[in-house]
Amino acid sequence: MINKALLSAGGENMLHCTDMTVLDRQRARIKWQQEQQQLQVQLPQQEISYFSELNRVFQQAGFHEGGLSEVVTRSVKPDPGLVDNRWHNDHVVGFGVGPPYTNGLGFELNYGAICRTSSCPPAVAAAATVTATVRGAESVVSDKISSGIGRESSKKRKFDKVQNNSKVVAEEDTRDKRIKGRAEEGESNTSEKNSNKSRSSNNNSNKNNNSNKDNSAETSKDNSKVTEVQKPDYIHVRARRGQATDSHSLAERVRREKISERMKYLQDLVPGCNNITGKAGMLDEIINYVQSLQRQVEFLSMKLAAVNPRLDFNIDNLFAKEAFPACSTNFPTIGISPDMTNAAYLQFNPSQQQLVSCCGLDMGINPPDMGLRRTTSTPVSIPETFLDSSCFTQIQVPPTWDADLQNLYNVAFDQGRQTTFPVQPFTGSVEASNLKMEM
Amino acid sequence: MASKHVIATRHTKSIKNRFASRFLRSLLRMKRSDRFGGSRSNEGVRKRSTHRIKMAAYASMARAVGPSRTWSRALLFKLRNRARIQGVLRKRCLVSKKNKKKRVVRNKVIISREPSRTDTLRKLVPGGDSMDICCLLEETAHYIKCLATQVKVMQSIADQSLL
Repeated sequence: MINKALLSAGGENMLHCTDMTVLDRQRARIKWQQEQQQLQVQLPQQEISYFSELNRVFQQAGFHEGGLSEVVTRSVKPDPGLVDNRWHNDHVVGFGVGPPYTNGLGFELNYGAICRTSSCPPAVAAAATVTATVRGAESVVSDKISSGIGRESSKKRKFDKVQNNSKVVAEEDTRDKRIKGRAEEGESNTSEKNSNKSRSSNNNSNKNNNSNKDNSAETSKDNSKVTEVQKPDYIHVRARRGQATDSHSLAERVRREKISERMKYLQDLVPGCNNITGKAGMLDEIINYVQSLQRQVEFLSMKLAAVNPRLDFNIDNLFAKEAFPACSTNFPTIGISPDMTNAAYLQFNPSQQQLVSCCGLDMGINPPDMGLRRTTSTPVSIPETFLDSSCFTQIQVPPTWDADLQNLYNVAFDQGRQTTFPVQPFTGSVEASNLKMEM
Repeated sequence: MASKHVIATRHTKSIKNRFASRFLRSLLRMKRSDRFGGSRSNEGVRKRSTHRIKMAAYASMARAVGPSRTWSRALLFKLRNRARIQGVLRKRCLVSKKNKKKRVVRNKVIISREPSRTDTLRKLVPGGDSMDICCLLEETAHYIKCLATQVKVMQSIADQSLL
């Protein structure tokens, strides 16, 4: 996977791509965290130096309220366990950073905090410059200043733990370095609200989007990064960048994603709907398909009712037929083969008129059946299969028929149903068909 | 989605065999009972046997799937209570006809709207009334798979019996 390769490469850019699934990001994050934990021990001194520099810079920027001067939390990694221990003070200020990137020095500065100042834009710019200076010229670091006025108390990052039994596993957040035009300070209470509401609702799912540009200054759109004490049975979610973060829209987004996921699965099932986009068209196709299948069942039951009188001595043939599908290893990939063999059998029917009529009827059924095949083989029209000698190669059944026949006999006739039709006629018919096939 | 696909393929192999065996058994049973019935007018017999075969097919498929799916449960419930429900409906019709004169026709505003696609789907899939769209789609997927299996098996049976 891409992310693994990138992880090995240092994981700098790995979290940029928005194509990564939630789970992938989660795994990447966990791996990253593990790496970071190892690194954490090694480089404490440098962090301290960086932090002092940061503080200095902040004070130079003239932030009042001393909020930013409290930039302290430099946790190497938003490891949930670590975070809880460290970040639990109410006055955590600084930059909320997502999944820490390793900078060139091999450790990353994670400023998780909230900018308390009301003058956010300068804070943002300053912060950006600060980070620029601090980080040097290397890896992208995701910073996030979430200004929460009166929200600092529960500024927590939400961590998605795999152990959540939620279907949607939130991913680690990845942030890009925002230099300018990052006007999301107005973020405000969204994360706080999120943390509260998402704790109460199980179905919030946020996803982080990495986008390099953020031009929206709307308060409602922002990353919500909330760390949270691990609570079981909650679906931890993270809002994507540039998306609404209130719980209603989050829940809706989860629901929408579930539905689209199911629709994609259905698209694989229903044949001939690859070019159809949109729920409405897909639903139409699905409805048509289900109706056609039900009609086929009805038609086949009518056919069986008509044939029923002959069911007696055809049972053994039936079993031969059943044996064939049982032989096949993989049902979904039988694909055309049963149909083609059906065609082959039909071909060998001595009564041609009956065959033609059946074919005529079956033509109505089989083209849809052909279309039903989920295999990638192109639907072959029936007359072609008649002429195609390659279909004979698929009939490898005869040698194994007898064994399976016996099995099926036992299965269906275990009550000692007297067999007026001994095996002989059946084998006779088998041999006859064999002969015909060899023709 | 890979897991879903895996589950599906593992399931269909056994479902197919289970369905095939059940269906064959029920067909034989019907055949045996028909033999003793004697010959009757063709049309009525054919329609009835068609219906019976169809119901047997659905029942055997539902049983092969088991009660783990909403649609199979609903289908089995419907099949089991079909006779009962029909009796109740007939009674209701009779009763309503008797009381029609006495009853006052109240003006009810019935909001009629064109059945949306989801409503149609709910009607098609057994047990689809009491599900939200998310579960409905999932059940539809499984139902489609089982229906396709059913069609294939029945077709092979029909073809085989023609030989």
